[in-house]
Amino acid sequence: MKERSMTAILAVILLILAFLSLFVGVINLDPASLLAGDMEQWGVFLVSRLPRLLAILCTGVGMSVAGLIMQQLCMNKFVSPTTGATISSAQLGILLALLFMPESTLWGRAVFAFAAAILGTWIFVWFIQRVQFKDVVMVPLVGIMFGNVIGGVTNYLAYKYEMTQALSSWLVGHFSLVLRGRYEIVYLVVPLVILAFVFANHFNIVGMGKDFSRNLGVPYLLVLFLGLTIAAMITASVVVVVGSISYIGLIVPNIVSMFKGDRIRGALIDTALFGAIFVLVCDMTGRIMIAPYELPIELIVGIVGSLLFIGLLFYRLKHGRKAVRLKNLWDGGCRASAGSVDGGESS
Amino acid sequence: MRIKELTKKYDGKTVVDGVTFEIPKGKVLSLIGPNGAGKSTVMGIISRLIARDSGQVSFAGTDIKKWKSRDLSRRLAILTQSNHVQMKLTVRELVSFGRFPYSGSRRTKEDEEIIDKAVAYMELQDIQDQFIDELSGGQRQRAYIAMVIAQDTEYILLDEPTNNLDIYHATNMMKIVRRLCDELGKTVILVLHEINYAAFYSDYICAFVDGKIAKFGTVKEVMTKETLSAIYKVDFEILEISGKPLSIYY
Amino acid sequence: MNVKAYQANIRKLGIMLILVLLAAAAYMFAEVDFGNEKLFRYAMKIRTPKLIVMLITAFAIGGASIVFQSVINNRIVTPCLLGMNSLYTLIHTAVVFFLGAGSMAASNANLSFAIDLVLMGAAATVIYSYLFRKTNHSVLYVLLVGTVLTSFFSSIQTTLTRVMDPNEYDSLLNSLVASFSNINTEIIVLSLAVLAAVIFILRKDLALLDVLTLGKDQATNLGVDYDRSIRRLLLGVTLCIAVATAMVGPISFLGLIIANLSRQLLKTYRHHLLILGSAFFGMIVLVGGQLIVEHVFVYAVPVSVFITVGGGIYFLYLLLSNKGI
Repeated sequence: MKERSMTAILAVILLILAFLSLFVGVINLDPASLLAGDMEQWGVFLVSRLPRLLAILCTGVGMSVAGLIMQQLCMNKFVSPTTGATISSAQLGILLALLFMPESTLWGRAVFAFAAAILGTWIFVWFIQRVQFKDVVMVPLVGIMFGNVIGGVTNYLAYKYEMTQALSSWLVGHFSLVLRGRYEIVYLVVPLVILAFVFANHFNIVGMGKDFSRNLGVPYLLVLFLGLTIAAMITASVVVVVGSISYIGLIVPNIVSMFKGDRIRGALIDTALFGAIFVLVCDMTGRIMIAPYELPIELIVGIVGSLLFIGLLFYRLKHGRKAVRLKNLWDGGCRASAGSVDGGESS
Repeated sequence: MRIKELTKKYDGKTVVDGVTFEIPKGKVLSLIGPNGAGKSTVMGIISRLIARDSGQVSFAGTDIKKWKSRDLSRRLAILTQSNHVQMKLTVRELVSFGRFPYSGSRRTKEDEEIIDKAVAYMELQDIQDQFIDELSGGQRQRAYIAMVIAQDTEYILLDEPTNNLDIYHATNMMKIVRRLCDELGKTVILVLHEINYAAFYSDYICAFVDGKIAKFGTVKEVMTKETLSAIYKVDFEILEISGKPLSIYY
Repeated sequence: MNVKAYQANIRKLGIMLILVLLAAAAYMFAEVDFGNEKLFRYAMKIRTPKLIVMLITAFAIGGASIVFQSVINNRIVTPCLLGMNSLYTLIHTAVVFFLGAGSMAASNANLSFAIDLVLMGAAATVIYSYLFRKTNHSVLYVLLVGTVLTSFFSSIQTTLTRVMDPNEYDSLLNSLVASFSNINTEIIVLSLAVLAAVIFILRKDLALLDVLTLGKDQATNLGVDYDRSIRRLLLGVTLCIAVATAMVGPISFLGLIIANLSRQLLKTYRHHLLILGSAFFGMIVLVGGQLIVEHVFVYAVPVSVFITVGGGIYFLYLLLSNKGI
């Protein structure tokens, strides 16, 4: 019962915030004149405000669900599109599209971003499965560095072919260019999230490890790569439209699981709702802070998210043994073996 | 060296609770007890590595807090378990550090002689130019002991020197401890997990339980069925081999 | 034995010094028209301060990285990986932001640099000592928090620049933050003075470095006041990084590369050799890299991009081969 009420509360908060956000912006909109049928106001509403809100919702839901899937599949709380090289791979994909097909449409770029993001994520996960890490935090560390290297290659290509200007709008995520006709790809998030929901239990089982899932008759590799592909595609469709938004996929699922535990089905809806709220609040902050100008959402998320992440790390460090308890039960999966953190006070 | 009413808390948990004892000079003293009984903490406090909460540790009539660290390091040496050297350091260079309290980074001829002796004493001549991180556990432990010997102190404190060593190397280590006391006249204080090593190679034993001293005395006094069973909460039998009490537990 | 290895190392350093001089000479005289005296003078006037800046930077980063690695007893961590250079950039931006871009303090390069240094010393000491304490010096956690701090600092910094001037943040960002295409030569003298002062004040602690690497227990056993020395050395590291970042902007992986190369080449624990080696490697990489960038890529790609890619791969290699963890 209590679980349901949390979901309901989140939903109500989201609705209120969503309604408020429609009326924040340079041009003053107010509900009264909308109802009165002011054509100009309706124009702004339909061309700019509504698309923006929808893009924000899709981004929040998508990124946090993508993060949740990746964490479940890898059984590591620190894996996410940011710390799994997915975002930087998608950016590299966009750059390649700009290089090879300068005339490409948004969809053309999206295809490149999809391919690159999926490939990058696969390589990363394949890699961390190969290597036995002695500590859980090795995985995000390797992921961040892997992302850095890919980002460096992207930078190099951008400098070399004088694309830095063109690329910059995908490096720092922002919603200010979300207008009707330029953002619809982000709707792809919706079917992908539904797909994720359908397979949620499968992801849970696969996260328990190779032997565990084989025992239950779940095709391990197939489900693993299906899950990663879904997460990568969600991420890529967000990156193509709004650019890089880090930390959401990392922070949101972790906060939700602190309250709700690790069963993916139970946590999925709350994670999606909370992700949407988080992005919405950050975006509204960015719009209000230096109005009439606006701050890109990536900056706000970068500040709030990195602080939360550090808090999370310290929390895990303190309650480390409890947090990684599951790990030694089953072998396999792309998890790191835990427990080297605790120094172990002897005598 | 006297220890009086020593107390130490970690996060509100008392790990050392009113410990008082005196270290007999020129003898081998072993600190034993179950995990978490506070042995290593006491060892850390009397060697000024760990700050105490209350109590006194007086060394040669003066509290160790009042000693200058440099002066103390010429009278008392401690070897802990945490010896992870990341640097490219040869055995001889490590042993040379034992002379640091005397001559800093510039070593005299006399220092070199003492280093030679320490290397020879621990039979490290053949490997003295090898890097520490390329040695086996037993060799590395010997190298560290050699450094402590080069430090040339009256007191030597060793925290679980047999840890991670196989029977051969552990037994050798204990024989070295005995020789340090008998041949070089050092006072050696050890933390040990293996009761029988303590029984066979030391003169005195101090047994800890829950941060308090359960029993302090000569080997014969401590190594009794009743005492050990009470300390470790398992059944013990005491045998006598070559005149020394040894324990069997099950 | 010992002496032989020492002499071999001295020889290696000698060779490196020659390479540094060659690189410096090549940088100074590459594609210069010796016939035309006016052009020649002009080229010298442009290149000399740049060369000096690169040499100072290499020395500051190389030395700071070695000292830092020894202090926290890990070969895979460098101050820049923990975000110290982004912290400096943030402080610099914040000073300009709060004092106003037109004020005396902001327009006088040396004055604002001095203010930055003081703030940097204080902020870095507080932040990083808290970080080390909170993570119990667990290196992986320190590293991860450090990487996240990097993005935290730079997010705030970019936000500040945007708030200062939402229209022209790009140009503002460029003028505010030094980079290889925008080397800050105004503060050479002050930087040299700071470095010299740091070395002089810390000379005793630097001499203790060899002992400090044995770890806290061993160093204390040998009669060294471990905590005090560590604190002083960390402050010195902070100032060195501030100097380097003020002049050429943040370059994250340079320290990692050159410190490890130096350790690999010299295979010694003697820090005066290691520091020199690391500094020389840094000079070769920076001056040589800049030479290539200027004459082969014709300024198209800044040298820091190469250092990021190369350094990132090298870091992954170190992390995965478990060297130095």
